[in-house]
Amino acid sequence: MPPWIRRVFPYAVLASGLAAVAWAAFFGTLPPADFTFSNGDEVQTVDPAKATGQPENRVLNGLFEGLLTNMPTTDQPDEQRLVPMEPQPAVAESLPEISEDGRVYTFKLRPSARWSENNGLGGRPVTADDFVWSWRRTLHPDTASKYAYQLSTYLENADKYNTGLVEEGDRVEVELADRPDPIQPFPRGTIVRGTLRRIVRPPAPAADPAETLEQRETQWRRRWTYVVEIKPVLPDAGQGGRVETHESPVDWAAEGNLRAFSQDPEQAEQPGAEFGSLGAIQPCVHVLLDFGQVGVRAEDERTLIVTLRNRTPYFNSLAAFYTLFPVHRECVEKYGTPRWTKPENIVSNGPFQLQFRRIRDRIRMVKNPHYWNADQVALNVIDVLAVKSHTTGLSMYLEGQLDWASNVPKLMIPELLPRDDFITAPALITYFYRVNVTRPPLDNVLVRRALNLAIDKRQICERVTKAGERPASSLVPPGMAGYEAALCGQFDIAEARRLLAEAGYPGGRGLPKVEILYNTDDNHRAIAEVIGQMWKEHLGIDVELKNVEWGNYLDRQRELDYSVSRAGWIGDYPDPNTFLDMFVTGGGQNQTGWSHPGYDALIAQAAAEPDPEQRMRQLHEAERILMDELPILPIYYYVSINMVKPYVRGFSANILDTHPLHILRLDGNAASASLPAEAASPSEPASPAEPPSSFVPAVPAETDTP
Amino acid sequence: MPLLVFLLKRLGWMLLTLWVVYTVSFFLMRSVPGGPFDSEKQIPEPIRRNIEARYRFDRPLIEQYGRHLWDTLHLDFGPSYKLEDYTVNEILAEGFPVSASLGIFALTFALTLGMTAGVVSAVRRQSVFDFSFMALATLGVAVPNFVLASLSVVLFVFVLGWLPAAGWGSLQQIVLPALCLAAPFAGYIARLTRTGMLEVLNQDYIRTAYAKGLSQRRVVLRHALRGAVLPVVSYLGPATAGILTGSLVLERIFFLPGMGSHFIEAALQRDYTLAMGTVLVYTLLLFTMNTLVDLAYCIVDPRVRLEQQA
Repeated sequence: MPPWIRRVFPYAVLASGLAAVAWAAFFGTLPPADFTFSNGDEVQTVDPAKATGQPENRVLNGLFEGLLTNMPTTDQPDEQRLVPMEPQPAVAESLPEISEDGRVYTFKLRPSARWSENNGLGGRPVTADDFVWSWRRTLHPDTASKYAYQLSTYLENADKYNTGLVEEGDRVEVELADRPDPIQPFPRGTIVRGTLRRIVRPPAPAADPAETLEQRETQWRRRWTYVVEIKPVLPDAGQGGRVETHESPVDWAAEGNLRAFSQDPEQAEQPGAEFGSLGAIQPCVHVLLDFGQVGVRAEDERTLIVTLRNRTPYFNSLAAFYTLFPVHRECVEKYGTPRWTKPENIVSNGPFQLQFRRIRDRIRMVKNPHYWNADQVALNVIDVLAVKSHTTGLSMYLEGQLDWASNVPKLMIPELLPRDDFITAPALITYFYRVNVTRPPLDNVLVRRALNLAIDKRQICERVTKAGERPASSLVPPGMAGYEAALCGQFDIAEARRLLAEAGYPGGRGLPKVEILYNTDDNHRAIAEVIGQMWKEHLGIDVELKNVEWGNYLDRQRELDYSVSRAGWIGDYPDPNTFLDMFVTGGGQNQTGWSHPGYDALIAQAAAEPDPEQRMRQLHEAERILMDELPILPIYYYVSINMVKPYVRGFSANILDTHPLHILRLDGNAASASLPAEAASPSEPASPAEPPSSFVPAVPAETDTP
Repeated sequence: MPLLVFLLKRLGWMLLTLWVVYTVSFFLMRSVPGGPFDSEKQIPEPIRRNIEARYRFDRPLIEQYGRHLWDTLHLDFGPSYKLEDYTVNEILAEGFPVSASLGIFALTFALTLGMTAGVVSAVRRQSVFDFSFMALATLGVAVPNFVLASLSVVLFVFVLGWLPAAGWGSLQQIVLPALCLAAPFAGYIARLTRTGMLEVLNQDYIRTAYAKGLSQRRVVLRHALRGAVLPVVSYLGPATAGILTGSLVLERIFFLPGMGSHFIEAALQRDYTLAMGTVLVYTLLLFTMNTLVDLAYCIVDPRVRLEQQA
């Protein structure tokens, strides 16, 4: 080591250290926002077709706007201090016209609804074609939307399009393998349409132990050959400038040409001679049901006609849900997914637009001047903070960094409860335990009833959860208009002991150990401990608590590898069906092994029932069966918890826990935002006398309950 | 020349280490139950298949490994499975500077506070300063940083009102997390410095220096500190590692959008690509830091040769 290095070294280290500190100490300045709130988590995406959670819900309702939106119907809270919320016109200028049979909805779009402008895109009106295209995008198999079922369950033929299944005789659209970018589903390759005449399936491949059944199936499908009678394109197609008509309508009545397609032509089999000479098999990306068969179409620029599979009384709530929001076609096609969601690219149609995002820090939204109701939007700049820790969120709220904290730590609730800015409201969420009915002794309904009767739910609400939750005796929480829940038995130790003895386990003797499964969370642990204690004390059952982490918990529940498992469910829409249809035989969320033909029949009948009252009765009957059989043990109904500074107007407690940002206003000028409540001057009521008909999702859709 | 050989050897070892870390993480992550697309709400089978196909989950594991390794070699960590609007590269590029700033401040605090306390304690041995500094140092090492964080939020934010509770974007906001992160390292450095100083102060050359009539300040800062700083330099490697990986919990508590919060979330949510990206960046950082410290050690201590270090 040359001596000069040794001499210079200390100075070099000092200099670079100082340089590093100088670099680290440099922060750009950020102008403060008018309104800041904690969102609970980083949003996974701002693409409405792909989003799935409650944090996404809050952001997407600021950035985009659907046909309808959930808005308070009055400023006057009812006796429970709740404000009723209902879907109200947004991009649609009025509530839809509904056909006699309840299946056809006609939406008239507002001429003033327009897209935001970004980088030379947008600025044009929101049209019916935008909705058709956006819904098609959501349903397209390549989009892989997790919430596509919000559309595919209800729209006519939408599930067929969504799952990519076609049958011989179907009208199909074939996408040729000439996409500009093979990874991007949009813009699509050339589309040709016709009638599917034959699917030629080569022999299924032999089982390979290295592959799963699904992998084999996927590989096999790629080698299928589709013989399609391609119909001629109508001569005047492509005219009229409507976006959707760029994909030329065809003359279905005309005679077409037979052609063969396959995803993997080299491996595919030539169809037999009965079709004559088809020429070489053409490569294609997809053979899907023709989208014209799916129940949504644009009659003209301002008229959207939606055809449902069944009468769906809550479709208006779905129309206000973010999965059904429109996206801007040119923007998506120009930049591709996910680049179109970048702040420098995104075009949206909501009250706010995206200014910037910092990952796991904040999303900044600014007022969208192109919004049709921009005059009524009071806030100019909103910061959405991805604060994950409730404790940190509460500190920031108390210190004045937040105007709205969307949750608080459980431990602090008793202390915060008396405060005026602590707002709780019943929510459409039920906390319950799943019971694995395939595992003895839980396959015995008497044992399940005994378990239910031995839980003192009131004590759990008063001693453990403490935020005003109410003990649950049904799966469907109160607050569903027109529905009366069917109840299960209430806390009754004597009866519980009697039932257990009747089941053959007097005093719990001979009863195997029961395991309660829950995912890592203080609240779940506390509840499981209390319930375990109650079962042990009242019934003499040995209870073991099994704490696993989230992924493991989901796996075990799905594979029925548990005895009793903690669960929660957030209603997707304000209708009992969102809770009850979970437990039909083989339902994806059933996960209890329970099956009851009478229950399945009632749920199916209710889905087709035209008379609303009769329908509610059928759902009630179904819940009656569920509460007698008890594959689940209801524990309590959640409350939503918010803390909002007193100077914020327009924030109302409601069962949807939905708080439209564009109707919020701040008392006094922006400076008062940081002053304590006493300093803020009284001001006008929160929402304008006539509520602007716009925004917010009907549907809190996050199921991963805390 | 020995320098070049040393660096090349280190580079070779680093690549090997990265590959081993990559491979072990890859298979460990996938052997843990649950996957990135699990949720309480079941996704219909065909949709799940489409999602899996998009991320190549339908391919055999060994093929996934090969392809992802190939991309990684081209410094492309792929899309994040959970933050769908971003690639892992974008997330790391945003998160790294935050963690780096925090780390730089924490290391600066740890060094200045620790060495000052250590030198003062050694020079004023058995004094009130010595006892109180060493008691503080022991506390700093013993109290976990998240406990310290909660206490300091109560004190500095709610009682004194000097500093903001959380967030990222200004100098005030970095002080509390950096101090909490630095505390155990400052404590350790203080003890190391004190021990080193005491040893050096008893040496003959220090007596000689005093005999020459040099002032105490000059003796301590110029002659004694040089010898005493050696253990601190060798501790810098592990300290840097500890500071980088120790910020995980603090980033959550102080709501800092750094690498640590991405790492925790990625691991919990099975965001395989993001978890892999952060693991590799951490590995790379630790290796680089250790190499730099080894180099520095050779420069500061003439008895150490590069050949031995390699």
